[in-house]
Amino acid sequence: MEIFQDHVFLSRLHFAFTAMFHIIWPVLTIGLSIFLVYLEARWLMTRDLRYYHHARFWMKLFLLNFAVGVVSGIPMEFQFGTNWSAFSRAGGDIFGHLLGFEASMAFMLEAAFLGIMAFGWKRVSPGMHFFATCMVAFGGTLSAFWIMAANSWMQTPVGGEFVDGKFILQDTFAAIFNPDIFWGTTHMWFACLEISLFVIGGISAWYLLKRRHTEFFLYSFKAMVVVAIFITTIQVINGDGAGKSVFDNQPAKLAAIEAHWQTNPPGEGAAWNILAWPSKELQDNVWEIGIPYALSLITTHEPTGQVTGLLEYEPQDQPPLLVTFYSFRIMFFLGIAFVLLMLWSVWAWMKGWLSAERVAEQKWLLYSWMAAIPLSYIAMEAGWAVREVGRQPWVIQGLQRTAEGVSPLPAATVAGSLLGFVVIYAVLFVVFLVFAKGVISAGPDFSKYPDAPEK
Amino acid sequence: MEMINANLATIWLVLIGFFLLYYALSDGAGLGIGIITLFTGKRERKEEMMRAIETIWHGNQTWLVVLGGMLFGAFPLFYSIVLSALYIPFILMLFGFIFRGVAFEFHAEAKRKSIWVFSFGLGSLMATLGQGFALGGLLGGINVEAESFAGTPADWMNWYSFFAAMGVVFGYVMLGAGMLIARTTGEVQRRSFRTARLSAVLTLVFSAVVYIGTTMLHPEMAVKWRAWPPSLLYFFSLLTVAAFFMYFRSLEQNRQLAPLVWNWCILIFSFIGLSIGLYPGMIPSVDATSLTVSEVAASDTTLRFMLVVMAVLLPIILTYTTYSYWIFRGKTGGAGYDEH
Repeated sequence: MEIFQDHVFLSRLHFAFTAMFHIIWPVLTIGLSIFLVYLEARWLMTRDLRYYHHARFWMKLFLLNFAVGVVSGIPMEFQFGTNWSAFSRAGGDIFGHLLGFEASMAFMLEAAFLGIMAFGWKRVSPGMHFFATCMVAFGGTLSAFWIMAANSWMQTPVGGEFVDGKFILQDTFAAIFNPDIFWGTTHMWFACLEISLFVIGGISAWYLLKRRHTEFFLYSFKAMVVVAIFITTIQVINGDGAGKSVFDNQPAKLAAIEAHWQTNPPGEGAAWNILAWPSKELQDNVWEIGIPYALSLITTHEPTGQVTGLLEYEPQDQPPLLVTFYSFRIMFFLGIAFVLLMLWSVWAWMKGWLSAERVAEQKWLLYSWMAAIPLSYIAMEAGWAVREVGRQPWVIQGLQRTAEGVSPLPAATVAGSLLGFVVIYAVLFVVFLVFAKGVISAGPDFSKYPDAPEK
Repeated sequence: MEMINANLATIWLVLIGFFLLYYALSDGAGLGIGIITLFTGKRERKEEMMRAIETIWHGNQTWLVVLGGMLFGAFPLFYSIVLSALYIPFILMLFGFIFRGVAFEFHAEAKRKSIWVFSFGLGSLMATLGQGFALGGLLGGINVEAESFAGTPADWMNWYSFFAAMGVVFGYVMLGAGMLIARTTGEVQRRSFRTARLSAVLTLVFSAVVYIGTTMLHPEMAVKWRAWPPSLLYFFSLLTVAAFFMYFRSLEQNRQLAPLVWNWCILIFSFIGLSIGLYPGMIPSVDATSLTVSEVAASDTTLRFMLVVMAVLLPIILTYTTYSYWIFRGKTGGAGYDEH
């Protein structure tokens, strides 16, 4: 295969693979740590042991997940230099210190307090332990902010000038708070919460189905149903905002997402393609199923608002179409499905089916919650594919092409490390699943009791 | 204020040096302990060694992430050229970090523990070798054209970088042994005294070779040796020798913490000495046209903003890091901390 001898393609694959693997872990870290803060706070307030045992149980999974997140995260930071040295040179003036801030403000905070959170149950007072958990959660969210700031800047690179192939920073705050950062950060942060709530709710559903510790896990299941009411809805609304931001800032990406070719003339509305088969060779869709006026309505709130089409761009400036178009649809329809699952759960609750006696009979509802675990991760990965593939052929939107950003390396070198990552990550993934299964089948340990700290 | 503005790049060089030293002193000990486990027989002893750093290795490793990020921010050109030039050593290090990093958590969950004890040792060795070859590759000189790496991926493979890698391996083993002396008791501690002596001698030999080799490779450093009045190189070299002397003395006296502290002094003095020797070169080149500190630095806007942030942040980081060390101070003991 010729593409496997192309170091640009291999470096892209390298980045896509390591990034898509890495992002699996921090999303749960971010959401689960917030849940842990809540549980510990409730425990401190009520001294109800149920919260304490919940905190201890979920923390086991948290630590397992965190470990894989850390080891797969470190290669990300170095990869910009190893595989994307020309990009690092071009964007380093802003991009580098955002990563540096992530490491020093957020990751350092997480790392230092993680030790206290994991090993300090009997070493520090409950109040101090709670503080440590708060710092881990805060570090996680702050970390997401800086990473999204860096990534948003690649989508909407402002705050300086691009001179001789190098970005020279002039206004730091303009670059950090670039047009994309609000939607980028919030959409990702809610995705973290949504995935985490399905992980917690889905695992709880498994116990409910098995009739194990029903009272105990009914608490976490119902708590997640309540959270889902807000998060699944907010995420759909937020996604709408994020889409408008793409419309404003990256029209070529929006056109690729919607397989929209012709800019609609004044007085005519642009149709929204539910499904289509866009083709770069034809510079048109092979077929399409669309809703008239809908695209204009969604993006501009007017039936005939103008939406730029792909034909305004030279073919070499158009993003890859199939990946962008279908990834978006996977994310979008899953997002809607999660809202429906939430409605179904609320309805079942109102019917009184979620009582301790009857909940195990709600097989399909509980199965759906379990299925939502992998599906929510898939929705998130698809969302990232839209965001990153949709930005192509640019690595820094409009300033540097992806092909110009790679390191001058022989293809074999890149292929070698890619192969190494694939093998190691595959093993990690399997080992993680085995241990996570072990933790879940062992269940919570009710023999653990909070003691006064040893002095 | 004006002094700061005029010397932004140099100030950042000092800060980067601080991050690098902090990382090497703290995580170096952790990696060294990992290497020691590979040459230790009983699993119980290996596990006792792992427990000695169980609560701190992660925070220590994070200094490398900070170093990487800050280097990228303050010296983007350095980051871009050096990481792509030393691709293989860095990938080796990253793979090593993966094996080392998951070892602790998976060890806690596993039924067959010996795999993860080995993963800890192997990962530590890989990461250390990666760092050692990267150091050797950098000091040996990098082929740069038009602000981009212009060599081949195997340029770093030579005798010089082999000696540098061995120096780093034994240097980390020495640090690890010092940490074990401070954190453990009994059999493990007794053996660590022996390990410390042996690795210190080997470190001395290999680093002397690297020191001499660096001077021969880079005429700008040789000039400093010959300059009159004598340059600070002499001062720090003498301090390094003195610290070695004190180190061996503290081992003879069976001191608990002193070997580790003198070990830190050795590394700090020799690192400063080497930096003075190469300054203002930051990417030593193969043909004596090294890229200087200011050539590889980011714009003043970036450096200034980062400096303001660091001025606030660094004291906070050092405070909570010290606190987290303090909580788990003293000897580790046989049982370890509360299981999680």
